[in-house]
Amino acid sequence: MSLLHRIEHAGDALSWRGDMPTQGRYTAGVAGERFFRAIKESGQFLATICLDCDITYMPPRLYCEQCFAHLDEWVEVDPEGHVHTFTVVHQDLDEEPLPEPRILAFVVLDETDGGLVHYLDEVEPEDIYLGMPVEPVLKEKEERQGSITDIKYFRPVTGAA
Amino acid sequence: MEEFVYDAVYLRREDFEEGRVLFETWDPNAQYAWDAGVAIGRYLQELKAGRLIGRSCPECQRIMIPPRMFCESCFCATDQWVPLEDTGTVLTFSRCYVTWDVIQLEKPKMPAVIEIDGASPGMGILHLLGEVDPGLEIGMRVQAIWKPPEERSGSITDIAYFRPLEPSEE
Repeated sequence: MSLLHRIEHAGDALSWRGDMPTQGRYTAGVAGERFFRAIKESGQFLATICLDCDITYMPPRLYCEQCFAHLDEWVEVDPEGHVHTFTVVHQDLDEEPLPEPRILAFVVLDETDGGLVHYLDEVEPEDIYLGMPVEPVLKEKEERQGSITDIKYFRPVTGAA
Repeated sequence: MEEFVYDAVYLRREDFEEGRVLFETWDPNAQYAWDAGVAIGRYLQELKAGRLIGRSCPECQRIMIPPRMFCESCFCATDQWVPLEDTGTVLTFSRCYVTWDVIQLEKPKMPAVIEIDGASPGMGILHLLGEVDPGLEIGMRVQAIWKPPEERSGSITDIAYFRPLEPSEE
């Protein structure tokens, strides 16, 4: 046998298996903190505006990605938007089947140049079309924690579907 | 364009604990599989079968355990598997009163380096001693106590521990 010995039977390939106990913690940053606190406390959607570039950032940024200017113009925007693109998800991050498929969409908020990736619900996949008007459904105020999941999902604007 | 210097934001443990900052936590499912390789792979399979095995070097004739595919003395490939005894001699030992994650033990563990019979001098493995107090000493002759075959998993823990050998057992 040499260093070039090859394993001929799958059972000969032994490995040690284990778990690395790690935990991640994410903070949304200065602008993200303000954005989520506004949703938590008043259900408002805040954006920042670059007046020079005429861009409304959703979610809000602290600086303009076009001209790098500091942004301190905060505005409340209408939470209604439209479906920019969507997909139906059948597996979780570990490729395990979900109890029920979920619809994920990129929702562009109409008064902004950006949007949010979130769930769509109260709609069947075959009834969704690109450009469909949607609105967010928020959790009750006492349940809100300042997280993206304070928005339960987006649903078609009543009467628009 | 005017220059703007952002204030640094320092977050401390209390900021999280006292809810001054919003945050998300998640537990990544971080699994790993470490490939045992050719030499250790065979070594583990032999342990499962209740045997110790080494590798020999064609240059310096050393017989090495745990087995390896090259000789770290001669930098050449080892070329033979050598069956070894499951008896040996205590080269060094310790009394250990804490576990690896610093939990106090009522009864100390006794890890030892055991020179394995049939391997070259100084060639040994780290394992635990049992049935030894009192009278534990360097140079003590010991033998492996194997787990029952159905409990072995192809791991160094397939040997439960090493126990002292009486001169009459040699």
